Amino acid sequence: MSVAVVAAADDVQPRLSMREVSRRRAIKRFKWSILSPLIALMGFVLLPVLFLQLYFSLHQWTVYLGSWWDADWVGLDLFKEVLTDPRFGWAAVRSLMFATGSTIGCFLMGFALAYLMYKPFRGQALYYIIFILPMLTVPVVVAYTAEMMLYQSGPINDAITRIIGIEFKPAWLTNPHIALPTVMLLEIWNWTPFSFIIMLAGLSSIPKEPIEAAEILGASKWRIFWEVQIPLLRPVIFLALILRFLEAMAEFPKTWALLQGGPGTATETLPVYIFITTWQYFQISKGAAMSYIVMVMMVVIVLIAIRILRQEKQTLDTVYGNKAAGNSGSGS
Amino acid sequence: MIKSQRRRATSIVRYIVLSLWAVIAFFPIYWMVSTSFKPDTQWFTWPPVYFPDPPTLDNYLNVWFGAEQYAATQYSISSQKPLISLGNSAIIASTSTLLAVLFGSVIAYGVSRYKILSEVRMFQLLMLRMIPPIVIVAPLSLFYSALGLLDSMVGLILIYFLTSLPYAVWMTKSFIDEVPREIEQAAEILGASRWRTVFEIVLPLIRSGLVATFLFILILTWSEYLLALILTKTQVTTLPIELSKYQGSTEGRVYGRQAALAVGITVPLMIVGLIIRKHLARGFSFGMVRR
Repeated sequence: MSVAVVAAADDVQPRLSMREVSRRRAIKRFKWSILSPLIALMGFVLLPVLFLQLYFSLHQWTVYLGSWWDADWVGLDLFKEVLTDPRFGWAAVRSLMFATGSTIGCFLMGFALAYLMYKPFRGQALYYIIFILPMLTVPVVVAYTAEMMLYQSGPINDAITRIIGIEFKPAWLTNPHIALPTVMLLEIWNWTPFSFIIMLAGLSSIPKEPIEAAEILGASKWRIFWEVQIPLLRPVIFLALILRFLEAMAEFPKTWALLQGGPGTATETLPVYIFITTWQYFQISKGAAMSYIVMVMMVVIVLIAIRILRQEKQTLDTVYGNKAAGNSGSGS
Repeated sequence: MIKSQRRRATSIVRYIVLSLWAVIAFFPIYWMVSTSFKPDTQWFTWPPVYFPDPPTLDNYLNVWFGAEQYAATQYSISSQKPLISLGNSAIIASTSTLLAVLFGSVIAYGVSRYKILSEVRMFQLLMLRMIPPIVIVAPLSLFYSALGLLDSMVGLILIYFLTSLPYAVWMTKSFIDEVPREIEQAAEILGASRWRTVFEIVLPLIRSGLVATFLFILILTWSEYLLALILTKTQVTTLPIELSKYQGSTEGRVYGRQAALAVGITVPLMIVGLIIRKHLARGFSFGMVRR
């Protein structure tokens, strides 16, 4: 009996798997034909570029020297030069300060606005439109508009003086002590809508049941906020902070177009310093070594960020089921 | 009674806070627009002029059309060609975005249905966007000059395509995930090939999502500055670079002209952004917001 079943199964299996094999092969071919353009592009564009960058950071070359392929091998000297360059260290500190400050500023503003707006009220749509406008302003335009408004006897100082009634005349852009905070404020103005949009989507997507349950149990708004809403919002909060931080680390148009790193070196962040080294001092090799260090630093930060985001996403998947991953098909 | 009073009080506080921020958010945009209509004597005077008096179109005529009667004045920058830059910007931004959405949506389909990229790979794809472009732009410009792509549209399109691909994949995937699989299974039973299923069934089903993705990425490519600054010189300039040429020009502060150009750059972006305002959250949320 059992022998017969096994024999029959043996008989059927090869034919089924034949079809299955050709199907799988077709799927495999399909997968590769989707992926191959992406792989080809990375191979033809990114790989040579990364190779060139490594080459320049190990060879001394500037535009005044002859052909770049004849450049002298200097080993790790350039990396040593960059790492002992105090200006590079200060640029890194400024970048981190700028990114941290503007990220926190954007997040607090965006979250506060989203918290005030996530329940429907009269005029909600209008406020939403006004609030997203700064994000839809090109960063270079933000820089030049800021210049039009922030000179010492400009409209910002004038308006604040009129409102508070006391002479208020900080030199926003020319005082080295406040130039970096000024750019930070611009960044916050420009990108608060980003945090606002994410936090608004997050707040309106959390399920109502736990909040209602807490209300029935007599919890105060404050406790509901800290003990129900914040934990449920954790993934979105991480997302808002991480994306903003990474973008702020790369911020270039505003710092460059507005102040070119000045006054002095007061707003010289890492991207600005790399730019100046490479395109104004034409120290291509030093710039490449700096780029490499910054790239490694950013890769580490991004990998940590990815780890955090993946963990949060997996938590979400276990809480909400794996619906959005496309397994059951019919999304919500 | 007390409860309704308290509710009214919180409502008033809410309106005050929101209106305050609305003023802060809107004032710089208002200032840019109003400056663009000011005659040159009102660009930077003390006290500042809040309403252009009388409003004038000189700035627009001069900047955008290099009108002859303005070309002789002190502030003329008629040698530059913003209309050509506008065309360049439009071609470069829309082509690279179109490519990104096309390839991105096919990749997203593969990820959604065939798991061609694991979740880790999907996040690693984001690195294309998250590593600051400044770290590769110098070797990239040398590489481009070797290939003859420096100062060409193709070069910019290629790099914008690469850097906006991650957003395209992530965003279109969130739309494809919502398409029921039964339709594709039916198509497969009826004998449609996989590519036909993608292009004739799945992508048409999410066309509004594709439009949203397109416009979302268009916002990013339209306003890109650093890559355009370094990879183009004279032949191809995009609008943000055209604007930065006014900086440090020999004429000094030409705020009105700058503002007229800035308005022209910003208005298309705002229109696009307002059209897709409901989808903005999706573009940024990377699967973290569940509805």
